[in-house]
Amino acid sequence: VTFLGDIAHVLATADLWRLTLEAAALLLLPALGGVISERSGVVNIAMEGMMLTGAFFSVVADLAWHNPWAAALVGIIAGGLMALIHAVVSIRFRADQIVSGIAINIFATGLTVFLVNRLYGLADVGHVGQANLLPYINIPLLDQIPFLGRVLFQQNVVVYAALILLVVVHLVLFRTRLGLRIRAVGEHPQAADTAGINVYVIRYGAVITSGVFSGLAGAFLAIGISNTFVHDMTDGRGYIALAAVIFGKWTPFGAFVACLIFGLGQAIYDNNSIIHVSQYLLSMLPYVLTLVVLAGVVGRSIPPAADGIPYAPENE
Amino acid sequence: MGSRPGPRLPRALRRVAGGFAVPLGSVIFAFIVGALLVAVTGGDPFQAYSGLLCGGLGIACANGENSALQISTTIVYFTPLIMAGVAVALPFRAGLFNIGAEGQFLAGAVACTFIGVKFSNLPAPILLPLVLLGGILAGAIWAGIPGVLKATIGAHEVVTTIMLNYVAQWLIRYLIVGGPLQLPHGFSVSSPIGAGARLPSFLPNDNSLIIFGLPAGVYRVHTGLLIAIAALAVFAILLWRTSLGYEIRAVGQSQRAARYAGISVPRTIIVTMLISGAFAGLAGAIQIAGIDHNLTDKYFNDTTGFDAIAVALLGLGSAVGILLASILFGALHAGGAVMQQDAGISSSLVQVLQALILFSIAANFLRVLRFPAFGRRPSAPSPTAPAAALMTEAAKAPPEETQT
Repeated sequence: VTFLGDIAHVLATADLWRLTLEAAALLLLPALGGVISERSGVVNIAMEGMMLTGAFFSVVADLAWHNPWAAALVGIIAGGLMALIHAVVSIRFRADQIVSGIAINIFATGLTVFLVNRLYGLADVGHVGQANLLPYINIPLLDQIPFLGRVLFQQNVVVYAALILLVVVHLVLFRTRLGLRIRAVGEHPQAADTAGINVYVIRYGAVITSGVFSGLAGAFLAIGISNTFVHDMTDGRGYIALAAVIFGKWTPFGAFVACLIFGLGQAIYDNNSIIHVSQYLLSMLPYVLTLVVLAGVVGRSIPPAADGIPYAPENE
Repeated sequence: MGSRPGPRLPRALRRVAGGFAVPLGSVIFAFIVGALLVAVTGGDPFQAYSGLLCGGLGIACANGENSALQISTTIVYFTPLIMAGVAVALPFRAGLFNIGAEGQFLAGAVACTFIGVKFSNLPAPILLPLVLLGGILAGAIWAGIPGVLKATIGAHEVVTTIMLNYVAQWLIRYLIVGGPLQLPHGFSVSSPIGAGARLPSFLPNDNSLIIFGLPAGVYRVHTGLLIAIAALAVFAILLWRTSLGYEIRAVGQSQRAARYAGISVPRTIIVTMLISGAFAGLAGAIQIAGIDHNLTDKYFNDTTGFDAIAVALLGLGSAVGILLASILFGALHAGGAVMQQDAGISSSLVQVLQALILFSIAANFLRVLRFPAFGRRPSAPSPTAPAAALMTEAAKAPPEETQT
């Protein structure tokens, strides 16, 4: 009874839900990137590596320039460049997209540690000062609303950006010509090509967008939530985002719901002093839930038809 | 196709050359790009690579490292890689991509530790087979879940195996950080397995015995190597000399044709994954029984199962190829430590090289150079590029039943 009471007590605190939304936003950005990439027919399991790269370069830039905005931009560009490698290898060279994704993730882990060593020697990377972090912004008036104000309107600037991007990605994918083209390329590239859509351009754009979003998430992690870079600091979040993409059946809002569920797990984990569940068992939750979804318990999760298949025009 | 005259070499020689061209070219590509990266960041690539060479193969050691010790370390590194490489290569043949060798490896290590700790008093003739079987079984279960999900409802094995990798990883953290396997008063380590659960080393742990200038105890090469070689032989025989192997290859070539030939595709998928997981689980068990003797925080960042993907691809899915690729990656990992010490270049350069090899072999960059020997058109399957053929099969993932 006390255990249930404890849970009820924790669930009633605004801070838990504030943390849930923050953790969800961190997962949502790469998940949105994954949705876009896979909708265009390019399997992307490389969000982990793109995030990690974004995290590293944003810290390097912030330490050098003391400007979080420029640093976030550097992180975004770094994530985008990593995605460009994935795009070139899997679109231009028609490589297996899963192998390319694995390679990106290994590359990012190795490259960041290698560069830490080259740039900072064996010492720590160093810490970004409080003033140079991506800021938490209270929205005037709205942040005074009891409970909801704390949850929704006292968040990091990147959280707001992620929520706006959620709506934008949804609208673009399902309400615009561009979105129709992206989906057409992911479902039936031959037909799209015949209809005059440039399959390559759409796919390059989609994959690079996934890197840009993941890079922003990396910057948020490194110079928003944290204030430094450590080896492998993304710790599987890119893969949780991948899980969210599948859990959410390749839709932005579906992925967001998954991110909220996984984020709640993360927030409870952070409140572990109150709820005595092993944090390590809680950490399994996203992966186990995704397996359950894949097992067809909550309806089928079916990827875009041409997902993972390199496109080769027939006349080549 | 085929009207273009090839170079005038005997056919057999040409096939061997063609078989080696892609992997060898990929490795050379990776080392060149890696050297550029070191040079651009102000390091000395020659010094870095001589460190790798010394640490990996015991050649050209500048700081008086013992060659025999370095070679022994490399062997210790590549022993589990062989079995994990098989665990990735076998499903490739059936058109399945097992990214989960890591999770299966960890499951095997957990099972081995669990049995080895709980029954630590049993004598070796009973306990040793028990821990190895436990590892095999745990790995098979860990791979069997994705196998069943794939065969019955078409859940993509890439995604399910990734998820199970992380479940295994967190399971280990749970078990040894304050969990049931933690060493009392220890932190992030499990209790050690019993003496009967340990695989013997080749050399006695006897410091009065001096071999190659060092006490025999420092050479940690263990009998797990023999098991790994045996596993490789089992893999080759299974694939090429049994009806199951024929079925696996048939399913990998074309599920539809296999079905017409009377082969049960779902059954073959499940059996392939079970066997594959058994190999990876055995690798994990042998790592514990042969060398580590307990679970430590080292296993949080273990990459054996991911290295195995590179091993299987670089080895083109053949037994000899897997052996050679395992030796390469074992040498790179062992060499990384010496490179970091002697040349001051972070051992993570090894991961960069590994990623570059993966990029190169998957994209087949050599194609662009248009050498006659491997200037094949991307759309034309060629006998000289089994990896590429395997990959295209692996990319068409879901069984045909699920496609509408």
